[in-house]
Amino acid sequence: MDILCILSSLLILYLIFKIWKHIDSKRDQNCYILDYQCHKPSDDRMLSTQISGEIIRRNKHLRLNEFKFLLKAIVSSGIGEQTYAPRIYFEGREESPTIQDALSEMEEFYIDTIEKLLKRNKLKPKDIDVLVVNVSMLNSTPSLSARIINHYKMREDVKVFNLTAMGCSASVISVDIVKNIFKTYKNKLALVVTSESLSPNWYSGNNRSMILANCLFRSGGCAVLLTNKRCLSGRAMFKLKCLVRTHHGAREDSFNACVQKEDELGRVGVHLDKTLPKAATRAFVDNLKVITPKILPVTELFRFMLSLLLKKLRRSPSKGSTSNVAQAAPKAGINFKTGIDHFCIHTGGKAVIDAIGYSLDLTEYDLEPARMTLHRFGNTSASSLWYVLGYMEAKKRLKRGDRVFMISFGAGFKCNSCVWEVVRDLSVGECLGNVWNHCIDQYPPKSLLNPFLEKYGWIREEEDADTFKFRT
Amino acid sequence: MSQAPMPDFSSSVKLKYVKLGYQYLVNHFLSLLLIPIMAIIAVELLRMGPEEILNVWNSLHFDIVQVLCSSFLVVFISTVYFMSKPRTVYLVDYSCYKPPVTCRVPFATFMEHSRLILKDSPKSVEFQMRILERSGLGEETCLPPAIHYIPPTPTMDEARSEAQMVIFTAMDDLFKKTGLLPKDIDILIVNCSLFSPTPSLSAMVINKYKLRSNIKSFNLSGMGCSAGLISVDLARDLLQVHPNSNAVIVSTEIITPNYYKGNERAMLLPNCLFRMGSAAILMSNRRSDRWRAKYKLCHLVRTHRGADDKSFYCVYEQEDREGKIGINLSKDLMAIAGEALKANITTIGPLVLPASEQLLFLLSLIGRKIFNLKWKTYIPDFKLAFEHFCIHAGGRAVIDELQKNLQLSGEHVEASRMTLHRFGNTSSSSLWYELCYIESKGRMRRGDRVWQIAFGSGFKCNSAVWKCNRTIKTPKDGPWSDCIDRYPVFIPEVVKL
Repeated sequence: MDILCILSSLLILYLIFKIWKHIDSKRDQNCYILDYQCHKPSDDRMLSTQISGEIIRRNKHLRLNEFKFLLKAIVSSGIGEQTYAPRIYFEGREESPTIQDALSEMEEFYIDTIEKLLKRNKLKPKDIDVLVVNVSMLNSTPSLSARIINHYKMREDVKVFNLTAMGCSASVISVDIVKNIFKTYKNKLALVVTSESLSPNWYSGNNRSMILANCLFRSGGCAVLLTNKRCLSGRAMFKLKCLVRTHHGAREDSFNACVQKEDELGRVGVHLDKTLPKAATRAFVDNLKVITPKILPVTELFRFMLSLLLKKLRRSPSKGSTSNVAQAAPKAGINFKTGIDHFCIHTGGKAVIDAIGYSLDLTEYDLEPARMTLHRFGNTSASSLWYVLGYMEAKKRLKRGDRVFMISFGAGFKCNSCVWEVVRDLSVGECLGNVWNHCIDQYPPKSLLNPFLEKYGWIREEEDADTFKFRT
Repeated sequence: MSQAPMPDFSSSVKLKYVKLGYQYLVNHFLSLLLIPIMAIIAVELLRMGPEEILNVWNSLHFDIVQVLCSSFLVVFISTVYFMSKPRTVYLVDYSCYKPPVTCRVPFATFMEHSRLILKDSPKSVEFQMRILERSGLGEETCLPPAIHYIPPTPTMDEARSEAQMVIFTAMDDLFKKTGLLPKDIDILIVNCSLFSPTPSLSAMVINKYKLRSNIKSFNLSGMGCSAGLISVDLARDLLQVHPNSNAVIVSTEIITPNYYKGNERAMLLPNCLFRMGSAAILMSNRRSDRWRAKYKLCHLVRTHRGADDKSFYCVYEQEDREGKIGINLSKDLMAIAGEALKANITTIGPLVLPASEQLLFLLSLIGRKIFNLKWKTYIPDFKLAFEHFCIHAGGRAVIDELQKNLQLSGEHVEASRMTLHRFGNTSSSSLWYELCYIESKGRMRRGDRVWQIAFGSGFKCNSAVWKCNRTIKTPKDGPWSDCIDRYPVFIPEVVKL
């Protein structure tokens, strides 16, 4: 009898122990952003209208029609006067980049950024357990991740991944990898380094869909420290709530919307198809369908379903009114503000921000961070989301408990999004190292127009392509 | 390679039996301890006699409720125990790409092309010939169609078509073998070190096979010849988090854009060694796949020596004097590979070696470090831990070096040497060709353990340990099916060209 009692109590104790361990491990699986540091290149790399004009004039393959096209694109791009470009653009060597140029561009970025990040958080390179690097258009041997490990002398058993060619949404994919690693391994510190390499990717031809990429992308990058260590969770800034990835590669038109290929003369460039906005919208809608139930409260979802039902019932008796049903970009009809407080939109271009603002029914206040980032830093590809986040932080908009929705798009066609919750009150105190610190007071400016129109607007009047001469 | 303090006995036969006995004693320590305990209990039982035993039995009061509760508790706890174990990751099956005969590059073809392309530098041609003679490659290795042109035409379109050819063929084969439907793939990882177009190769695969839109895809690149095992590591981590999922890994290397067109010697080396190849692997954590899976993943250890400058610069992509891009292999490559391997072994040794070997290693370590005795580093006998070895077929020198370091016999490295001979250095997929060789030879039995070692630029050394789940019948198709009977071949030191 006593033996049985002892045995049963032992078994019950073991059961309680197992349940406790299970609950405990769940607490260690959270993915926190400890800190992040965006890169602000040195001011001698600022691309003003004057220098942009110089660069365009230098390109011997462009003719009047291309200039008109470029003017239209740049004027309506939403990009300002203070964005940054790689050094070789200023040295006039953009058409003949060397491997060393590409590597120096990356070195300038990661040495500055990672140094600041580690110093501010009082961490050593040897503390890093996981390193994920994503730079879409650079593929070097040894990889960029190996270069970072070599420069910072990281440990031998660091888990490293080097992602390439995943487009402007690669930041969220890197966070996805880290999130999954954190679920299996406890007490880890991860570093995600994201950037874009522009030096080796200048398109030196005159195919219109390919020269667009030359004008829109700018230099920038970000390093993010993530952790699931409980001891660091007190200092953390954000906690990951959910992450959803949507890949539309199965559709031919989505897959061919953004392709790197050779033009008729064999010059390599990134072709941005006219159907790109449609592909982006499709992918975005699909992504929303999955993530919305996860982030919005049940009441809002319920209300949305009711309104859909009512719309269907109202539409079925009247078959004549089909004309007003078709719209270019469908409004979501659902109020995202009930579950999300801030919107971090990939600064792919003015059209992208406008389209998302329209479909999610956002105000100018919501779109301000993305618009200002596009104006100040341009389209820095995968790292743009972090600049937008930096703007919100610098404007003291982030309060504890707020939710931030990050949306990004990538070639393929992908739409990846994630939701972060602010765990520490970021609206008080100064934000050290924020890349917007020096200029946040000047934002938002009165006008977002760049001087391109007034300086080069005369091109629109020119008609004769043969006698055309580019005046400075 | 015997230790210094026992030179007098090392030649003696008795030592071998002493070592065997010692190994048996240490490895079966717990079971040996159990024997005296069982003997004591048996003696006690016999002493007590049947009536006494019955009395003890009757004195235990069994309440029906108590019995039910206890048995319920036992069942519940055993369920919890089994559910909380980390998910086993299985390798269901894999397929390797077999290039068409039209892509073959026998020595004569290679040298003829070389003479025509490098007609201005006969010394470089001479160098290439010497490398080829000693390379260990055979006459049936293949290069992609674009490289067969004189001069080669490495455009992006050609590179993409090579990628489509090697990847899609391997994947079609994998689908056929496993009966997998494309829309059932949950995770896709593609690794190709030297070619990464936008959209990525993973997007290309998703486009071709119309995979699901919620697939988790990753495109790793720049990670060298060890990227295959890095992909397996990522797949394993993802499969731990997502229940009931499968992952497809595609390991390849696209040769077309990376053919070195200059004449710098150290950079001509990769031209002679790298060949076309790819592998598609299906991994899963579903319990239903347990019966048909070929292997189970036991351990995976990654070591990165990037912190050491010499290791970092030993495989480096750069421009030569004329601005042509190529990969420079340093002369210290072998030494660095040996160092990286040692670092990797120190981590994997404790996980796989039997207790006897670990104890010996520990004793020799103590002797050397604490008592400062002049003993040579004891190299544990890895042949006790593994039945098969798959060493990345990076080149003849790499295989020789590893054979020496790990004290392996010719039969152990046969798979690597024959893969190098038949397919050349196919970079990250070479490990899978080697595994296929071992299976084709009918040597893979249930319970056999395989050790895959790969090296990569940076410098990395990654190793994976697999355990064979079921005895594998000799495959009827596959890259080795038409030539396995000719192997193993004798590869001379120098093939006179």
